[in-house]
Amino acid sequence: MSRELYLSIHAAEFPAQALLRLRPELRAQPVAVMDGPALQQTICSLNRHAVQLGAARGMTRLEAEAIAGLQLIVRSKAEEASARAVLEECAAQFSPRIEEVSLGTACAFVLDVAGSERLFGPADALAAQLRRAAGGAGFRISIAVGENFHAARIKAVATPGISIVAAGEEARTLGKLPLALLDLDADQSETFAMWGIRTLGQLAALPEVELVTRFGPAASRWRALAIGTAAHSFQPIEQALELSEFCEFESPVEEIDSLLFVAARMIDSLVARASARSLAVASISVEMRLEGSKTHRVALHPAIPSSDRKFLLKLLQLEAAAHPPQAAVRSLTIEAGSGQISKVQLGLFAPQTPEPSHLDVTLARIRAIVGHDRVGSPLLEDTHRPHSYRMEAFHAEQPDGRLAPHAARIALRRVRPPRQIQVTLRDDKPTTFRDGGELYSIAAAYGPWRSSGCWWSLGAWDAEEWDVLAADRNGVALSCLLVRDRLRDSWQLEAFFD
Amino acid sequence: MGEYKAKTMVTASALRLKIEQTLEGRFPAALTPAPRTIREVTATGIAAVDKLLDGGFPVAAISEIAGPSCSGRTSLALAFVAARTAEERVCAWVDADDAFDPESAAASGVELGQLLWVRCGCNAKHEKNWTRLEQAVRSTDLLMQTGGFAAIVLDLAGIDPAQAMRIPLATWFRFRQAADRTRTSLLVLGQASYAQSSAAVVLNTEPMRLESLGGTVLDGGAFAISRRRQRFQPQMINARKPPASTWTANTQWAMERSA
Repeated sequence: MSRELYLSIHAAEFPAQALLRLRPELRAQPVAVMDGPALQQTICSLNRHAVQLGAARGMTRLEAEAIAGLQLIVRSKAEEASARAVLEECAAQFSPRIEEVSLGTACAFVLDVAGSERLFGPADALAAQLRRAAGGAGFRISIAVGENFHAARIKAVATPGISIVAAGEEARTLGKLPLALLDLDADQSETFAMWGIRTLGQLAALPEVELVTRFGPAASRWRALAIGTAAHSFQPIEQALELSEFCEFESPVEEIDSLLFVAARMIDSLVARASARSLAVASISVEMRLEGSKTHRVALHPAIPSSDRKFLLKLLQLEAAAHPPQAAVRSLTIEAGSGQISKVQLGLFAPQTPEPSHLDVTLARIRAIVGHDRVGSPLLEDTHRPHSYRMEAFHAEQPDGRLAPHAARIALRRVRPPRQIQVTLRDDKPTTFRDGGELYSIAAAYGPWRSSGCWWSLGAWDAEEWDVLAADRNGVALSCLLVRDRLRDSWQLEAFFD
Repeated sequence: MGEYKAKTMVTASALRLKIEQTLEGRFPAALTPAPRTIREVTATGIAAVDKLLDGGFPVAAISEIAGPSCSGRTSLALAFVAARTAEERVCAWVDADDAFDPESAAASGVELGQLLWVRCGCNAKHEKNWTRLEQAVRSTDLLMQTGGFAAIVLDLAGIDPAQAMRIPLATWFRFRQAADRTRTSLLVLGQASYAQSSAAVVLNTEPMRLESLGGTVLDGGAFAISRRRQRFQPQMINARKPPASTWTANTQWAMERSA
């Protein structure tokens, strides 16, 4: 039976880390996170640059604003939840068994990594890989690896960087750590302080029976924690893949480029999380909360699932340019749907077709030029009403089999919208018509072709079509389709034969 | 006589070899004809036009159909697109005048699911107020650069030639380069020829002569067509008149009736 091995990761000052993750430009600056009601806000989390400036947890906003150069950001629980999911996804790349041990403003997980040496190497190599992966996602974490669950957890909280708790050396490793790492209340801490007990090593040296006599059964567990022998029943969390990122802005953002700057990092993270599970991004849904409590939504559906962040960002840029938000944006939520990574089998003799991801970007660009509903494939509707079609999304898909080519047919060029004309009739046949200022004499008129339908609804039509060959005063010939609307008794020039 | 002829041929070939060897440093194979590149062509689906073009429109090049209204430009282009989609290829129709008729296309045999239709003329919510001609040129440019389309039809038939003539030659040159790179046939419909030296083929069309069936039904039309330019023709022809032909197209109902 293989020995137990636990890896603990600890992200201190998580409210600050969650906010700075998507704002790398602030990482080198002193930043403090404010929490609480509007007039009673205090610092709940801060980075080390802020500590160096003299900021501390619990400072009021007034005190914090007195520190020159200190950036104040309001705490966002939604961003913390999103960042926690990202950190969990990051840890999930190394072990499927993860237990959350977050406490206070820290976010912490313990991974069961027993038996993973063949995959990731020895414990220190595994810890280094995990720290690199978390760093890539924008987190600064400390890691401890040990055979005892709690020894690894406590060591990770107390020591930055990577620590290895050697088997049998738990008591010595934890001995110098402060007593505050145990979950003691104020009275218990005061009692130990009066006794002069300040480290776990000093606590471990106390006789267990006398300790239990004074503090009760909990003291036995404290002592076990201090010497690194406390037992633990591992409770792994159920991991559900939720590809979602959230970012709340300090002040409303009006420029699309600024939004895309943040969205690029969010898409990066989503793609990386999907890729970690051998998946690709099949759809993206963007929700922008606007000033005035309105919401603006943008949806992207690439032709095939993609892991190309540049491609996805370009699609988002084009879509956002085509449908810009009507007010400044207060927060941005990006949710991604996952799909299988597409595999396309090309053939040497297969006809060329546009590359799906390139085509998506091209179509989005053309939509931005000509209009959203004016690009696609026409689809004829199943009706007798003339000129009935609708636009469908274009997919460069090949049909099941080859079609037989037709003989040449004479085609029409539509006049959109149809032009109103005045027609002169003789024996119910058109003889001349006037289109604007031009008079045309009709040499031959073929018709009428009558059709009607939908008389039971508001969309009723009753039309009479004439195919005519006409000429203007200069003798220029014209072949066109004239339509008489029998319901309104009006004539229209609908199309030319060309 | 035969002996004289053989001696003359030997002398001529020896002389040619001698000249070529002398000039070898400056002109390699000076008197030997350069090998001719045979350009790939695709059939238009209309026998008379294919015969006129020695097989069809060239692949990876610009072809133009220029003529007045009602001269069969659209019918010819649809026949070409129908032939391409019948080969399971994907095509695009950039419609500057928003005049494309899907029913006519379907009747001509175009597989509409394989046809991308770009309807210009309506300004999107964009900071730039582009004309329909600018929209058509920009859309064509994007499609040409994307590649993968067997044929792209740039329909400028409803655009005033005075405006279409203002399309810069650099644009046509870029289209020609893109067509060559992506193996796309770009077919330009217009009232005049616009691509100038970038066009591989220019066809002129004449107004049609309508034919009726029994005097009450329009049966079809006969179209006159002539070849004004063909860059990759196999042999030089010193003809006074450009090669011309006539082709016919029937209406959908006439075909159904005859069937």
